[in-house]
Amino acid sequence: MFDVFANLGLGFTVALTLKNIGLCFLGCLIGTLVGVLPGVGPVATIAILLPVTLSLDPTGALIMLAGIYYGAQYGGSTTAILVNIPGEATAVVTALDGHQMARNGQGGLALGLAAIGSFIAGTVATIVIAAVGVPMTRFGLLFGPAEYFSLMIMGLVLAVVLAHGSILKAVSMIAVGVLLSCIGADMETGRERMTFDLPMLHDGIEFVVIAMGVFGFAEIFKNLADPEKRDVVRGAIGRLWPAWRELKENLAPMLRGTALGSILGVLPGNGAILGPFASYAVEKRLSKTPERFGKGMPAAVAGPESANNAGAQTSFIPLLTLGLPPNAVMALMVGAMMIQGIVPGPQVIERNPELFWGLIASMWIGNLMLVIINLPLIGLWVKLLQIPYRLLFPGIVVFCCIGLFSISNDPAQVIMAAVFGLVGYTLFKLGFEAAPLALGFVLGDLLEQKLRQALIISNGDPSTFVRSPLSAALLLVGLVALVMAVLPAIRRSRDEVFVENT
Amino acid sequence: MLTLNRRAVVALGLAAALSSAAPVMAQSDYPNKPITLVVSYAAGGGTDAIARLFAARLEQALGGRVIVENRPGAAANIGTEVVAGAEPDGYTLLIGNQGPMVVNPHLFDLPADPAEALDPIAMIADAALVVVVGPKLPVPTLGELVDAAKAQQLVFGSAGNASASHLASVLFGQTAGIDIRHVPYQGAGPAVNDLVGGHIDFMVTTIPSVIGLVQDGTLTALAVTGSARFAQLPDVPTAQEAGVDGYTASAWYGLLGPKGLPEDVRQRLANATAEVLSDPAFTDKLANDGGVPSTLVGADFAAYMAQERARWGEVVAAAGISVE
Repeated sequence: MFDVFANLGLGFTVALTLKNIGLCFLGCLIGTLVGVLPGVGPVATIAILLPVTLSLDPTGALIMLAGIYYGAQYGGSTTAILVNIPGEATAVVTALDGHQMARNGQGGLALGLAAIGSFIAGTVATIVIAAVGVPMTRFGLLFGPAEYFSLMIMGLVLAVVLAHGSILKAVSMIAVGVLLSCIGADMETGRERMTFDLPMLHDGIEFVVIAMGVFGFAEIFKNLADPEKRDVVRGAIGRLWPAWRELKENLAPMLRGTALGSILGVLPGNGAILGPFASYAVEKRLSKTPERFGKGMPAAVAGPESANNAGAQTSFIPLLTLGLPPNAVMALMVGAMMIQGIVPGPQVIERNPELFWGLIASMWIGNLMLVIINLPLIGLWVKLLQIPYRLLFPGIVVFCCIGLFSISNDPAQVIMAAVFGLVGYTLFKLGFEAAPLALGFVLGDLLEQKLRQALIISNGDPSTFVRSPLSAALLLVGLVALVMAVLPAIRRSRDEVFVENT
Repeated sequence: MLTLNRRAVVALGLAAALSSAAPVMAQSDYPNKPITLVVSYAAGGGTDAIARLFAARLEQALGGRVIVENRPGAAANIGTEVVAGAEPDGYTLLIGNQGPMVVNPHLFDLPADPAEALDPIAMIADAALVVVVGPKLPVPTLGELVDAAKAQQLVFGSAGNASASHLASVLFGQTAGIDIRHVPYQGAGPAVNDLVGGHIDFMVTTIPSVIGLVQDGTLTALAVTGSARFAQLPDVPTAQEAGVDGYTASAWYGLLGPKGLPEDVRQRLANATAEVLSDPAFTDKLANDGGVPSTLVGADFAAYMAQERARWGEVVAAAGISVE
């Protein structure tokens, strides 16, 4: 334990040089900006800045790139809350209640809770990485395709709990999402599925295209169709900063979100995206007022945002301890290390302790900087919402289109998002929700990969999912959650029947 | 020390480029506007990283702007199509690699055949792969891996269907006469993760994706698939040395343009590429990424691609890998 403090001490002496603080700040600032701009993600930003970082020393370069990563995670939440456009899968959950809060004039409170929750999560996750990074890696490695598949099943069951309307509608939306994720070349045989010979569909649909369509564009259609409600914030804006009482109320959701996010972040294949969904489901289940979820519940922003940030940070663990990148951003970090002549792997901690611990210490500094950068901006963001909608929405559309075009320098992505916008609007009119669709899309892709990988490894024997104790346990939890989700629904519908009768 | 050197080299390179830019440009009109270098993958992949490093150094060699444009899609065939359809004036170029250049013609009905529609300028680098095993199959030699595969069908992971690591593994199975089972992943990272976790038996993968884990002893490298040993893994034999006769496989990158480049432009680009490839500041970075600089230019590069295309065509046909 004393080692941890000594090592963190070393880390802080590295991270607290004027140059590294400057790089950390620069990274967080760039990250926040690309995160706020819909569609411009950290992957493209880091790839483009990679050659620039060559003139820096490896530690400085990684500190800056890491800053861009968690800065973008953070900035993405701002857009999700303000204009209901989740730029990343993890921000979908934030958009649910965050945007409702913004509409209710609590935009400042939502942004404030997101900032503080993220900071608390970041602080805890930094300690987790420093203290138990190595054992956490071992835990992550236990998840082979079979275990991962069972985890996904559990995740999908939790997604059903997410919906606040009809379970049947939620399940059908998840199914549509899963089907959409099947579009493109088959992972094993390469055969085209549901592509109608369109080259733009061969590699599947990008998440951003779906998110901007069914959330962003559909929201704009909704607002334009309903001029009464279209100005995002009507009446008073309310306080910009959360009050002490609100902070205290949301401390527990923040801590639970942090715990969930930290654990799921270590899993390979971008397990971090599960964190916010899991946190939302847990908060809804524990809440005394579950009916307020989806209508602007502060805990539904504080918990998932903390989970999001904790996961973003613990996903560095496999990278730092084994040199294994769990997602595209981390793969770029590996690239950055290789180009700098540092071989990512278990030996980094011994050969380059200043880099290892400096990066960890800089994460905490980066989180502090995000709060410093973003709290003063909250006032500005909220004021942005007071712009008359007829002026605001063309701006949103333009930024969305720029982001969509930049995915592959191809107008096809913009057109697809527009189609999904119409789909999203139609779904809204019919009373379906977009969030289960987005979740189905994200999990569907992973689900198929892991199912098929597990079955190839077991040579087609499905008992592989119950022979692994970990996999069996996860499936059991999923089953229990499903029963718990269905039972109250039956009760509730009974209650409604009674209400109608009296 | 290392960082100081690097910075000094970069600074020197920049200074040289600035001071020499004017006279070089006066001699030839080309390039008099920015060059677009098309990469057929999204920003952030391995090919993209090489392309960006290459583009940055090529700017100095040519004395003009080189802008990397990512045109991902349709299994990297979109990029080929974009460049094949561009004006052959030297202002639209392509970073072409093994997959779209010589494997995809066997898998897709392509609107633009790379061998017909593109002019090869110069090959940039060649990166050998490495055969690695993890805790699930802790054998010390390639021979024992082959023996184990004969006793029981082994499972290998790859970076994806028809990727370099998939095809190199299939070729390994065909050459060694063993029947192996393919588990496709999305990229080398998740596959290596499952190799370390003991969920799959072995992989044939790019050197940078595993070198840290090999040096640490977490994974064991049984052979490199190039014709020579790899400098940073001096103890690892080539597949030839390890007893699998005639087995070589590598991932390579080259510079190509639309068919019909003016000869002086092609020559200028080939010379500039040679200059980039003789600069240790660039080749060091290439080596860190597992790449060895190439000397193949023009017709020789075309001949190499034709040979590779025939070779992988047989592998694809024999393994029944298909895409429609």
